[in-house]
Amino acid sequence: MVSYLVTILSLVAIISILGLALNLQWGLCGMVNFGIAGFFALGAYTAALVDLAGAGTLVATVAAAAVCGIACALVALVSLRLSDEYLAILTLGFGEVVRLVVLNEEWLTHGSLGLPGIPRPFWGLIPEEQYEYWFLGMLGGVILLLFLALEKLLRSPFGRAIRAVREDDVVAATLGKDVVKLRVKVFALGGVIIGIAGAFHSFYMTYIDPSQFSAILTAYVFMAVIAGGRASNSGLLLGSVGLMAVIEGTRFLKDIFNIFDATQLSAIRLILIGLGLILLLIFRPQGCFAEYRLKIKKPEKEPRKASVQTETRTT
Amino acid sequence: MTAQYIFNGFVSGMILALPAVALTLIYGILKFPNFASGAMLTVGAYLALIFNVYLGMPLLWAAIIGSLIFALIAVGIDQAVFRQLRERTAITLLVCSMGVSFVLENIARFIFGNGARSYDLAIARPKHFFGLRINNEQIITAATAVAAMIVVYFILRHTALGRAMRAVADNPSLAAVRGVRRESIVRWTWAITGTLTAVAGVLAGMDRAIDPLLGWNYIVSTFAAAILGGLGNPVGAVIGALTVGVVEETSTLFIPPNYRQVVSFLAIALLLILRPQGLLGAAKIKK
Amino acid sequence: MTAREIVLKTKDVAAGYGGGDIISNISIDVEEGQIFTVIGPNGSGKSTFIKVLAGLLHTRVGGISIKDEQITPLAAPERVAKGLAYVPQEYNVFPNLTINENLRVSTEFLKRDRCATGEQRERVLNMFPEIATRLTLRAGHLSGGQRQMLAFACAMMAAPVVLLLDEPSAGLSPKFVAEIFDRIKAVNRTGLTVVMIEQNVKEALRIADTVMVLVNGATRLSVPASEIGSTHDLHKLFLG
Repeated sequence: MVSYLVTILSLVAIISILGLALNLQWGLCGMVNFGIAGFFALGAYTAALVDLAGAGTLVATVAAAAVCGIACALVALVSLRLSDEYLAILTLGFGEVVRLVVLNEEWLTHGSLGLPGIPRPFWGLIPEEQYEYWFLGMLGGVILLLFLALEKLLRSPFGRAIRAVREDDVVAATLGKDVVKLRVKVFALGGVIIGIAGAFHSFYMTYIDPSQFSAILTAYVFMAVIAGGRASNSGLLLGSVGLMAVIEGTRFLKDIFNIFDATQLSAIRLILIGLGLILLLIFRPQGCFAEYRLKIKKPEKEPRKASVQTETRTT
Repeated sequence: MTAQYIFNGFVSGMILALPAVALTLIYGILKFPNFASGAMLTVGAYLALIFNVYLGMPLLWAAIIGSLIFALIAVGIDQAVFRQLRERTAITLLVCSMGVSFVLENIARFIFGNGARSYDLAIARPKHFFGLRINNEQIITAATAVAAMIVVYFILRHTALGRAMRAVADNPSLAAVRGVRRESIVRWTWAITGTLTAVAGVLAGMDRAIDPLLGWNYIVSTFAAAILGGLGNPVGAVIGALTVGVVEETSTLFIPPNYRQVVSFLAIALLLILRPQGLLGAAKIKK
Repeated sequence: MTAREIVLKTKDVAAGYGGGDIISNISIDVEEGQIFTVIGPNGSGKSTFIKVLAGLLHTRVGGISIKDEQITPLAAPERVAKGLAYVPQEYNVFPNLTINENLRVSTEFLKRDRCATGEQRERVLNMFPEIATRLTLRAGHLSGGQRQMLAFACAMMAAPVVLLLDEPSAGLSPKFVAEIFDRIKAVNRTGLTVVMIEQNVKEALRIADTVMVLVNGATRLSVPASEIGSTHDLHKLFLG
């Protein structure tokens, strides 16, 4: 049971790192990234290939971060002066491109067979039976570092400029902020974080194949960010824990509904994710947790009115 | 040989034109790119499959009934989901359309599984004209798509509904002052969108195997077509779709056919760098 | 002036956005066939007032009637049906629709009795010959002045009792301004009552019959236009 929990928490941690990236790109800057699964795969495969070539896990992580950062910067550059819808379409397309390349370039990625035997960091230095715990600790450390760095960034002049651009990019531009450069930088920074997440995914799994990077992953990350309250990094961490609890909980559906086969159960899970995304956007656009506290304060007061107020306060 | 590829590209471009036009209609009225477009196409294909394979109707009738039902479903989705988000930003709407996409695709997966299916359709021998090999499905596809385009064009240009749709797309508040009820126009637009997308689903299902990812295979190309025509311009979307179809098909002369969507992606990227208003974007007047 | 029928009347109207009222206690009587012009400094509540008349903004206090019929609770399209046609400021045509389509869409969604007849259409086109010759041109290709004409024409299609104009000279180059006001006068001579708000005081006064000066959301003065120049100092009125 404990090892199961460690496994789940490790997955939560990786989703949370992706969430931090999306929170930076979308939550703070309004730049939608529908290609998270693709960028994540790009990071994971880059790290795996570099690692398998014997360069070591640190170099592999840096390489993954760099490649994803550059890829995000390029995608952001293409949609430079266009509205965010175009960026969303481009990222979705980019995700598809990565998926197709990974599937078809078998000389490099072994196609759907995947890449096995990816070396792990500090493997051999730690007793094997304790490794999972150490790895989880490492992920925790990465999250903490990223979390503190992002919070610090937000309070820096750069962070203020980002928020100014989000509020109104025309006004920000008249104040002398180079909006275009700023947006590309933020998006690239998000890419770097996604790359790091990809690298850790490879190290954790030691075996990667294209099925691990389906579009549903993108939905998970969006759910985590929305549930946690956009632009709130601490809410995000709660959001991804809650999300994982729900997703893992639905795995036990199997025991209750044994009339459904595996495909149907996974379909049910994905329907629930989709519905969750929709319902959150409609009823809790500012996240679950901000509202949760409010509820404790005043328990049974006009729930309907509260939801109306919610809607007027939206993005 | 090349002529055959161009012809095939033209026909697949016609399939693409239907969801691309649907996309621009919704973009015009509600101002967001509908990411559920692919999943809607999938569900449309399965609906016709139910009537065709399980209830034994001829495909034509199955397609007609399926598309009409899906028109209602599209309106229903709008009422249940998008209507709740009318005053929100385009970004909220498009994230939401992603959620709708997951729900639709997986309802299809839940009922029909991941296996590939196909319509019950008599196989006819391909005909030969001027050295081109033309099969029956291609003729049906071309005829259906052209008919659908003509109907949509007629509605947009020559009916009160079409004028109202374009008026709302141009200036919603002025349209309201003129007594155009936006909500009713939005419902009609979803009905047209649903019909077009479901018809495209049937045509796509004749072209390749029907599985839950059927529509997903068209999504990048659909966006490429719509952007090529300058988002929000239906005629542009048709021309964009034919262009994308031909370019994708002829590209298979040089690169593996699996990379068609990559070609579309590169087309979007190039276009956005060189001419972001779309090839025909100038035809749309902003102010 | 002889007593003519009052076609548009407001009584103690108050309205605003959010918390406070922007305009209050506004009462006007517009006689048939008049050009009734509302002028005032920026922020005096002119736009608020015309939006209230058009039915785009809710009337908080008071009443509005057209030919003795109460229209206070009606929304904008229903007021058009009652004979109150409204021409918004600037973005007042559909740029991607042709001139002909603009004219058609302006009445075809109203209640049946206001839907323009062929006869009405002829009358409007005769009044605006410059658009009548280019019915298939997209409105977005028209110049600012021509767009304004088209917007008038669209409003006239409903055969209104009163024409409401929201700053007809806004956004126009100075050489068109005089022309626009001449056209308003010409339209008015056909017997149509006009209520407008305007920034361009000099030109507006040239064609106005009655002038109301609005300052800080309250009526400062409401007199025949002829009296304005001689007996009232506008500068003093505007500055309070």
